[in-house]
Amino acid sequence: MDAAMSKPIIRLDAVSKTFQAPRGGGMVEALREISLDVRPGEFLSIIGPSGCGKSTLLSLVAGFLSPSAGEILFEGKPITGPAPERGVMFQDYALFPWRTVIGNIEFGPFARGVGRRARRDKAGELAELVGLKGFEDRYPHELSGGMRQRCALARLLANEPKVWLMDEPLAAVDLQTRIILQDELLRLWGDGVESADRPTVVFVTHGIDEAVLLADRVVVLARRPGRIKAVIDIDLPRPRAPLRSVPEVARIVDQLWSVIRDEAAMAIAEEGN
Amino acid sequence: MSPAMRIGLPFAVVAIVLVAWEIAVRASHTQGLVPLPSGVVHSALALTEDGTLFSALGSSLERVVIGFAIAAAIGIPIGLAIGTVPVLDRTLRPVLDGLRGVAPIAWIPMAILWLGVRGDAALFVVAYAAVFPFILNTSEAARRIPRSLFHAAESLGAGRLLLIRSVVLPGALPFVFTGARIAMAFAWGSIIAAELAIGIKVQTARRAVAGIGQLMVDTLYVRRDVDALVLYMIVIGIVSFLIDSGLRRAQARLMPWTQR
Ligand SMILES: Nc1ncnc2c1ncn2[C@@H]1O[C@H](COP(=O)(O)OP(=O)(O)OP(=O)(O)O)[C@@H](O)[C@H]1O
Ligand SMILES: [Mg+2]
Repeated sequence: MDAAMSKPIIRLDAVSKTFQAPRGGGMVEALREISLDVRPGEFLSIIGPSGCGKSTLLSLVAGFLSPSAGEILFEGKPITGPAPERGVMFQDYALFPWRTVIGNIEFGPFARGVGRRARRDKAGELAELVGLKGFEDRYPHELSGGMRQRCALARLLANEPKVWLMDEPLAAVDLQTRIILQDELLRLWGDGVESADRPTVVFVTHGIDEAVLLADRVVVLARRPGRIKAVIDIDLPRPRAPLRSVPEVARIVDQLWSVIRDEAAMAIAEEGN
Repeated sequence: MSPAMRIGLPFAVVAIVLVAWEIAVRASHTQGLVPLPSGVVHSALALTEDGTLFSALGSSLERVVIGFAIAAAIGIPIGLAIGTVPVLDRTLRPVLDGLRGVAPIAWIPMAILWLGVRGDAALFVVAYAAVFPFILNTSEAARRIPRSLFHAAESLGAGRLLLIRSVVLPGALPFVFTGARIAMAFAWGSIIAAELAIGIKVQTARRAVAGIGQLMVDTLYVRRDVDALVLYMIVIGIVSFLIDSGLRRAQARLMPWTQR
């Protein structure tokens, strides 16, 4: 397959991250020697027990943090900080409370100096695309959780980033909303459309079934210090949305679960003492 | 309860109390020490008519507004700086806490020594009283802005300047406004105190800058008019209520996202 042949869009080379714990609490080793190539246009999911460093990994790629050791390359060049080519969707939405839906969506183009008319038009289109038509002038606190998530997605899309970095974006919404948003996410990404310039997605999730349903590959992290325990290819055809109830999906979920069960059990045991 | 009753009843209660008061004071011959409601109304009319009340109120308010503006201009930038730069916070906070411990009123002798009694001393005290609420609330506000909002803005392409303009300022604004309301209350409270303290001197020097505090001193020592004193107290209460509700309304207008 040529995706596998092409150069990685993101390369993590023996990346480690150690935090100085607050109030003089010593060092916390969050990630240890992570090496990973992310292929252009792929949908990559990251799963692992709580506290294993998933968010840290995403923050490193986003450029909010820098590695303690190792190197992270984006299109062959070291990442030095956040940039609009790597869009981020946060678990807590991180919408600007003082901006309306439109104001949030247009922030990226605004920050990059796009003129008022052009960015307004674009934001309007995106609001419609994610199903927020009629809510353009609402403030985030006036929206439901699912609507905030759509708004955050539209805000990310407005910059047309090459990479979507998503930290448990659907964790805080109810099950029905999650299913709908999963399908929409796939549609917006270009599920089932073979396209050379499809965005690359790095998607952190707690849900094994979510990871299997969405991703081309699933990276399983081991508990702290976070290391790569397994990388599993999900060879299901696309589009994926119709596969929700196919037995094959359940079989892969089971298989994946057996890989991470021990980790999860041990993580829980460690939390207990 | 009918609407007419709901509005009418409190008025009726107040009216009855005032009438009873009037009768009690007249019967007990304590006029001159205890105010008469009718006397207060009389003073209000007289002092409004000859312009004394409004000119005093005007000069007090002028100092409050100028002192408040100076406090905002100094306090907000300092607050933003120490709220966003931890090193500044660690070095400046003890100094600020120490200064804050000295009550504004305690500065009056110094202020008079440095600035004279023309009203500048009162202005200094007002600005001093109002600057701390600005600093404290603004720094706390800046600290409380969630990290993820900075990260979101940065990853959407915002540079340093835009981060300040589009995240720090709007993020801190609601809290700063709360600070402004406290600062205004402090400013208005300390202008009266400062004018009271400076008052006598101004009177002997026959300055034309008397504020409402000076007027109270004059009323107490020279005119011995207890009704007018009470009138001033009522006016002070009304003015601070009006200022605060004005600020609250401005907040609702300027920051629709803070309305729940
Ligand atoms: N800024 C920080 N300072 C100190 N320690 C940190 C910091 N950020 C993360 N850590 C620690 O690093 C480890 C990994 O954190 P991280 O948030 O990446 O985990 P996670 O996999 O995203 O967890 P979850 O599934 O609960 O979201 C945790 O032990 C956490 O306490
Ligand atoms: Mg996390």
